Amino acid sequence: MGRAKIKRGNTNVDMTAMCDVAFLLLTFFILTAQFKQSEAVEISLPSSVSNRHAPEKDAFIVSIDKQNRVFLNMSNDIKGDVFDELVKERNMNVTPDDRKLFMQTDFIGVPLNQLMSFIRIPSNQLKNTQLAGIPYDSTNNELQAWITAAATAASGDRLNFLIKADNSTKYPAFGKVIDAFKKNDIYKYNLVTNAEDVPKGSVLYEENLKAQHASGK
Amino acid sequence: MAEMEVKQSGGKKGPGVKKSKKLSTRIDLTPMVDLGFLLITFFIFTTTVTQATAMPLNMPKDTKDPNLQNKVKESGSLTLMMGKDNLIYYYFGNDPATMQSTNFKDVRKIILDKKKSTPVDDLYLILKPDKDATYKNVVDMLDEMTIDDISRYAMVDPTADEYNKIQQTEKAAGIQ
Repeated sequence: MGRAKIKRGNTNVDMTAMCDVAFLLLTFFILTAQFKQSEAVEISLPSSVSNRHAPEKDAFIVSIDKQNRVFLNMSNDIKGDVFDELVKERNMNVTPDDRKLFMQTDFIGVPLNQLMSFIRIPSNQLKNTQLAGIPYDSTNNELQAWITAAATAASGDRLNFLIKADNSTKYPAFGKVIDAFKKNDIYKYNLVTNAEDVPKGSVLYEENLKAQHASGK
Repeated sequence: MAEMEVKQSGGKKGPGVKKSKKLSTRIDLTPMVDLGFLLITFFIFTTTVTQATAMPLNMPKDTKDPNLQNKVKESGSLTLMMGKDNLIYYYFGNDPATMQSTNFKDVRKIILDKKKSTPVDDLYLILKPDKDATYKNVVDMLDEMTIDDISRYAMVDPTADEYNKIQQTEKAAGIQ
C-alpha cells in the first residue's frame, strides 16, 4: 500500500520584511519626534485637570521662574507689532537692525534699558547669562508697559494672555503679575499647566462619566 | 534579500580536487527584528506627550463700591488659607479663631462635606493664599474647585489678623 507522503513545510519564515518594517517605524518615530528645546529659563509646570490646549496663536506669555523673575514670550504673529508700539510709547531709538534681532529672540528677560544689549546675546549663550527679568514692582512696572503695548498693538483683536509659572513660585509674584494685567483692564488669563487625570470618584469624574453616557446614547 | 541562491555544483570533481565548502549566506534576522521592535517600544514608552494645557482664570474687576461687592452668608462660607509647606488652614463662617489646619489630600473631604450640608445658593468659598504659598498651591486649589464642582468662590489676600494667626500656628508647629 502506498502511503501519501506528507510534505514537510518549511517553518523558517523570512524575517527580512519584518525587519524592514521595524526599522522603518523606528526611523519614522525618531525623525518625527519633536525634541524639547532646552530652555534658558527652566520652568516646571504644575498640573491641572483642565483638558483645553494652550493657545499658540496670538499668545502673550508671561513666565515666572523659581526666583520670581518675570520673562516674556510672544508668538511671532504679534511680536513685531508689540515692539513697534512699545518703541513709539517709550520714544526709543531703534534701527531696523534692532527690530530684526528682536524678532529672532525667543524671549525677553531684561529691563528695557538693557534690551538692546540683550537681543545681541547669541541664543546659545543665554543659559550662562545672569538675566534680571522684567521689573514688575509698583515703582517701575515695565511688565505693565509691555502689556499696554500688546493690548494697544492688538487693538481690539483678542490676545491670549498666558501665565506660565513655576511650581515653587511664591504667590505674591503671581499676584503682582495679575495686578499688572488688571491695571490694563485685562481679566481673562490662561494658566499654562500640564494635563492630569481627573481623580476617580470625584464630582467632576462622575459628571464626565454622565456626559459620556449621554453622548453615547 | 538576505539570502542568495547558491548554485549547487553538480558533477564529480576529479580525484585530488577538494570540495570547497559552501557557506550559507542566509542570516537569521529574528534577533534584529526583536531589537527593532524593542527600540520602538522603548521610544514610545519614554516619550512624554508634552502638549501643555491651559486652565482658564477669570478675575473680577476690583471694586471699591461696597454695593457691588459680593455678599457672603456667614452660614455658607468656608475660608481656605494656603500657607507654608503645602498646608491649608480653614474655618467656617466669620471667625478666624476656629481655624484648623489640613493638607491638600484631605481638603477635598472638607469641601465636599460643606457642599453637602449647605444650600447651593449659600455656598461660598474664599481662597486666601498667603505670602508663603506657592503658585502650585494656588493652581491646585483652583483645580480643586473644578474637581469638586464649586461654582462660587473668590480669591483674596488674607487679612492681617489671619496672616498673624497663620504665622503663630506655623511657629508653634515648627514649620520653617
